[in-house]
Amino acid sequence: MAFTRINSKMVEAQVLPGQRLFSQRGAMLAYRGDVTFTPNMQGGQGGIGSMIGRRVANEATPLMTVEGRGLVMFGHGGHHVHTIDLHGDTLYVEADRLLAFEGTLRQSTMFMGSQGGVMGVIRGQVTGQGLFTTTLAGQGAVAVMAHGGVIELPITPQRPVHVDPQAYVAHRGEVRNKLSTALGWRDMVGRGSGEAFQLELSGQGTVYVQASEEKL
Amino acid sequence: MSAQAGGPVVHDPYTLPIDDNVNPYAFSVDLKGQWFLQKGKMIAYYGQITFNGIGHGALDGLIARNFHSPLHASDWVVAEGQGKLLLADRSFDVNSYDLEEGNLTIRSGNLLAFQPGLSLKQSIIPGFLTLIGTGKFVAASNGAVHFVEPPIRVDPQALVGWADCPSPCHHYDHSYMRGVLGGIRALTGIGGTSGEEHQFEFVGAGQVLLQSSEVLMAEQATGVVPNEPGVPGAGHPGGQAQQQNIPRMPGQLGDLQRRFGL
Repeated sequence: MAFTRINSKMVEAQVLPGQRLFSQRGAMLAYRGDVTFTPNMQGGQGGIGSMIGRRVANEATPLMTVEGRGLVMFGHGGHHVHTIDLHGDTLYVEADRLLAFEGTLRQSTMFMGSQGGVMGVIRGQVTGQGLFTTTLAGQGAVAVMAHGGVIELPITPQRPVHVDPQAYVAHRGEVRNKLSTALGWRDMVGRGSGEAFQLELSGQGTVYVQASEEKL
Repeated sequence: MSAQAGGPVVHDPYTLPIDDNVNPYAFSVDLKGQWFLQKGKMIAYYGQITFNGIGHGALDGLIARNFHSPLHASDWVVAEGQGKLLLADRSFDVNSYDLEEGNLTIRSGNLLAFQPGLSLKQSIIPGFLTLIGTGKFVAASNGAVHFVEPPIRVDPQALVGWADCPSPCHHYDHSYMRGVLGGIRALTGIGGTSGEEHQFEFVGAGQVLLQSSEVLMAEQATGVVPNEPGVPGAGHPGGQAQQQNIPRMPGQLGDLQRRFGL
């Protein structure tokens, strides 16, 4: 595990030669040892192709490469930080929620429409994910940011989970998600419950939910 | 802090903690005598407590003992009496620290209150205050404070303060600005910056206090320093020195810039 939790808003990462980290620019709080921070033009892994892909997909968060030998502390904007260990599965998360992740993870961009076609696109709009989202796959650790603490909700085939789109942070595993609407005549006349849109996640995996409806 | 289940904990004057946190965002002072508070940080109190601005009448003597300059003391209030006093600041994390014959330098906006056993001085470093002596003080931070020991390099915005450390100095990382690509980057700005080129470096024995985010708290005025040669931050009226640094236009048009207020 590359990340050690110091408190709810700060993590510490060990950097060793040959094991690099990617982190959001400006998220370093302090470091010990001989560590360099290089702005990463591609916004993550891969070559120019991935860079253009991310720019087009608007998933190009400014990242920097952290290399060297030492200990680095990360935190950003007073947001709560949650660390997630990946063991060969895939994490779906918005790029601007990524605080730091290990270089061993494969980063790529996914079109929301590839999960559910047009409804996927609409879902992306409602959750604020946009048309694209970032995926991280492989072995390694990720630190994600959230407003308020993060709750992990397991998803099993018998028990789908409904999540407020604004409180959704990330999910992992073999999960299908669809936007369920409960629009009625009350919403049309402005007397709705304010919970007309929900994200329904079903399958096998975990969804991460923040204790707030505020976006980052 | 307290039990989450069963609803909120109800406090009365006897169950309020003695010089300890009520929750991460509020601190309870068991007042017997005097405490110094920054203006506007008291949220509630039990008992007989009076609040007076410093520097009026009978409290004049305190200035000499606990403050470095009368100009700055006007931002502080003396709480006097018996009772329980609750302190908080815009739901930032609040913590108390004990000093024993020690010294600690802290960012001016983060300090909320301190005991009269400490004296408050203005640091040589602009925007920081130094506490010297024995006693307790209360400070706010954005995210819990983390103590680290030098050698360490700290992001300027994450620094809350330091104790006993002799060497706060600037450190610049520019290794990625070297070479051909680095040169192009520096000239054109393509590729951007990492935002981590500049840190404060601490070496030696002591402790450094970090907050867990890079959101600064509003700075409090620390008072002015005497306008003497050799005093850092002493206002040699900023204008003159700066104007000389503005590159002049070629030819004799130079002073046009100044006339247009550039």
